Amino acid sequence: MEDRRTVRKRNSGERGLALLAALALGLYLVFLVLPLLLSLRSSFTNENPLKAQNDFIGLANYTEMAGDDQLRASLTFTLILAFGVTIAANALGVGFALLLNRTSLSYRVMRTVAFLPQVLSGVIVAFVWQTILTQNGLLNTALVNLRILDEPYPWLGSPHAALFSIGLVVTWVMSGFTTVVYLAALQSIPLELHDMASLDGVRGTQRFRKITWPMLAPGTTISVTISLITVLKLYDIITVLTGGGPANSTQSTALYIVKLAFTSDRVGYASAVAMLLLGISALVALTVTGALRRREVSL
Amino acid sequence: MIRKPLLAAGVAGLLALTAACGSGDGGGKESGETALTYLVFETPSLDAKFWDDSITAATTQTPGVKINKIVAPSTDRDGYAKQLQQSGQFPDLLQSITPSNFVGAGLLKPYDKTWIDANFLLPSANSLKGEVYIPPTNSQIVPQVYYNKKLFTDAGITTAPKNWQEFLDACAKLKAKGINPIELGGADPFAASMPLVGIISADILGKNKNWLQDRYADKVKFADADMVTAVNKYRTLVTSGYFDKGALGVKYADSITRFTTGKSAMYPMGSWFLGSVPKDTADNFGSFPWPTDSGDVVVPFVGGGSMAISAKAKDTALAEKFGQAWSLNPANLKALIETDGAFPMIKGKTLEDYNVTVTKVFEESYAYVGQDNNKVSAIGWATNDDALPAGLNDAFYAAAQALFTKDDVAGELKKLDEAWKTAAQ
Amino acid sequence: MTTISRDTRDRPTAGGRSTLTPPPHTRPRRRLSTRLRVAVAAAVTLVFVAPIYLMLVNAFKPQEKILANPLAPPWPPTLDNLTKALTRPDNLIPLGLRNSLIVAVISVALIVPLGSAFSFYISRKSGKTKAVILLVLSAGLMIPPQVILLPTIRILTWVGLDHSYPGLILANLGGGYLSFAVFVYVGFMRSVPDEIIQAARLDGAGGLRIWWQIVMPLVRPATATVVIFLTLWIWNDFLNPLFILGPLQGQTITTGLYLTIGQYSVDYGQLFGIMFLAGVLPVIGYLTVQKQFVAGLTSGSAK
Repeated sequence: MEDRRTVRKRNSGERGLALLAALALGLYLVFLVLPLLLSLRSSFTNENPLKAQNDFIGLANYTEMAGDDQLRASLTFTLILAFGVTIAANALGVGFALLLNRTSLSYRVMRTVAFLPQVLSGVIVAFVWQTILTQNGLLNTALVNLRILDEPYPWLGSPHAALFSIGLVVTWVMSGFTTVVYLAALQSIPLELHDMASLDGVRGTQRFRKITWPMLAPGTTISVTISLITVLKLYDIITVLTGGGPANSTQSTALYIVKLAFTSDRVGYASAVAMLLLGISALVALTVTGALRRREVSL
Repeated sequence: MIRKPLLAAGVAGLLALTAACGSGDGGGKESGETALTYLVFETPSLDAKFWDDSITAATTQTPGVKINKIVAPSTDRDGYAKQLQQSGQFPDLLQSITPSNFVGAGLLKPYDKTWIDANFLLPSANSLKGEVYIPPTNSQIVPQVYYNKKLFTDAGITTAPKNWQEFLDACAKLKAKGINPIELGGADPFAASMPLVGIISADILGKNKNWLQDRYADKVKFADADMVTAVNKYRTLVTSGYFDKGALGVKYADSITRFTTGKSAMYPMGSWFLGSVPKDTADNFGSFPWPTDSGDVVVPFVGGGSMAISAKAKDTALAEKFGQAWSLNPANLKALIETDGAFPMIKGKTLEDYNVTVTKVFEESYAYVGQDNNKVSAIGWATNDDALPAGLNDAFYAAAQALFTKDDVAGELKKLDEAWKTAAQ
Repeated sequence: MTTISRDTRDRPTAGGRSTLTPPPHTRPRRRLSTRLRVAVAAAVTLVFVAPIYLMLVNAFKPQEKILANPLAPPWPPTLDNLTKALTRPDNLIPLGLRNSLIVAVISVALIVPLGSAFSFYISRKSGKTKAVILLVLSAGLMIPPQVILLPTIRILTWVGLDHSYPGLILANLGGGYLSFAVFVYVGFMRSVPDEIIQAARLDGAGGLRIWWQIVMPLVRPATATVVIFLTLWIWNDFLNPLFILGPLQGQTITTGLYLTIGQYSVDYGQLFGIMFLAGVLPVIGYLTVQKQFVAGLTSGSAK
């Protein structure tokens, strides 16, 4: 039989725990769910603080999006960047992981180093790359000095090159992450599996295709999903590296939302675009993750 | 149960710490001073020291004020002021903003007009619907074309171009000599638009001073034929290779050093560039107005000035006093003239009164302000009734950058008309 | 684990070819290929790490030497860039590091107990409510922060905490960071045996005590993961400090860098000096807790 004091103590403990949990949930509701609902509400208005207007305009913002060239360009840029970086970073990650999947000290050092870009903030990464890629930057200086190029190449100064340069920098950052994920996945492959394969004479590309690749599948799922989500949200690297330029060619949808809301004061329209980005993020994340999960099972 | 109070104490302590570091940074509340926030922007010539010195000077003349300086992250202080407004921290004083962006929402308080009339040469230079939000302490020409005399001589050019054809000839000669004709800091949107500002101001506003008013009244459009013809001149410059191919990757600050170190022969820029002319080689630089077809001089003119006052400032009267003290301080004007190429516009004073040392190219350029010539509002830069509607500057800059890489002049101009419609709604 | 059975199924096919097995590697050949592998790996790693190498060596070189050969080692090294960066009149580096530290430490110190208590509470519930709440929380991992930025600032204004450290920290507590903490903890708490908790309950321990004294020590690896990643993310965060904190309260290291040196060129030496000082703390942190770091990622990707 429990004595009453124990029960009381236990009950107060229960209440304390419930209180902490409720506090956590409350914070989440106030600072994530509520803003989301406010944003949704605002997307049906013409809210513009500089014009002191805030009227309900139905779906007008959503119909306006259909004819918005800047939005279309930003979505194209964002999706190309997201998928391009995801593919490149994961391919590099698998390659690096296979290359570095050894236990000696030199490999451990290399593995440590490979993850460094992930540790630095996007602002630092972007500033360092800017000194490399800008018109008078270190890369152009080197290439011209070595007579590989006759004149500096506009790495950040033409729309296509800027897309490529941003892709390169983001891939560089994400590869550190994907490498570590794939290394972990590689190390989770039971050694016996490789031994069996060796006995059976399966090696080289065949071994990779038959054993390594399927065993990497769970790693692929997490790594691809996180790469995609990260790029869809990306703000700091683009802001510092190009600020969305030249001619808005590297303006991602995330940047466009911030510009609409904070510089153009079109809060209502910005909210509608935000809802679109949210929908696309959800769609991409769910379909790609879903497909990769199914693949894990079928492989 | 010893852990629970410990945890509670820990959380409480952390919360207290948070609160403490929140309240610790307010500042300026001691000894009855009123703290005002002042948005400034830094450029290579208007550096942190200039702002700090000028603030200190004006503060001593305005008892009871304490200024908290906010520095905009780029020269686009309008964008940053809006961002601050949007996130609820609109500054009390705002240096060199475009008032038309903010008066619509009643965010600015005009200056006392008798004070304006009493102190400035062109009291209405910045007037917006009859009110003055920014004291017209100085003026600017945006753009003028600055050129490197030695590079001109090297290419066999003897005199500065006087009309568009001579300008094109000069470009061709320079290019033939392997000299980059025109410098462009295209990575910064405002700098990317400079040639376009010159072309439109000279060719369109030069012929119709009221073009911007007519545009507001929907009597003219960007897509009109004369505008398309004018803007096509910009495409001519681009396709002829008269800009560096990678100009859109050159930052504004880098474009200044590239021009002053002889990497390019000409540099269309606002007259603030005069402050960046290197002292030891100043005589090597000259200036001429953006050329027109006929050779008639058109001066794209902007009444520059000091700071606007937020209507919601903690103490608007005190803010106005600070703004007045700052605007009339000769030391500030001296610094602005010497480092920012400002053309002073204070009544009853000549250049000598400020005790400044200026370059020959400054005097040459300043002469256009005093002369009786065709002064028009520089498109995108005017802060008076000819200011573009809020948000259109960004569209204009984007068009300038876009036209560097693509040929669709009519399409880009049509986009500007659409942006105007959205902005003016 | 379906993958393994599939591989075993495949074996007969592969085994059928075992007659064609090439001769085993001879010793010398293996050593050569090992050396080649190290060389290739080193070369790839070097190229990969070149930007960080540039930041490191050029922080100790004057401008002319950087332009002459950015890749050259900094010899003789100069401390000019670092001294200049540290003695800037705006105190960019010391102030930025201090502010980032305050925000990151307090946010993480609060998210850890909140997240783990919530996870413990919810992991003992069952059925639909739990599923729904976890689904709602998963949204936090995915929502682009730009979507909720402006409303968040408005909410903070309503409660009078706009543009303050408590406001920024509150926004950190309620946002996606909490979702991350909850997901890591829920994953780990699934593996805490029910018997231990039942036994503690019989001893008269309440929920709060069981959580703090029994569960928390058992999920220490989860705490390590949460602490390490959240500290890094909050430290490196840019958008929230830029907009929620604003310019008047002093900048964090990321926004400070952006606001002060974004606008006009400082020379490369100074820039690399500033970047070096701004980046060196997280790198040192990473190197010291590297094992837990990788373990965290590994366990995360396994879940």
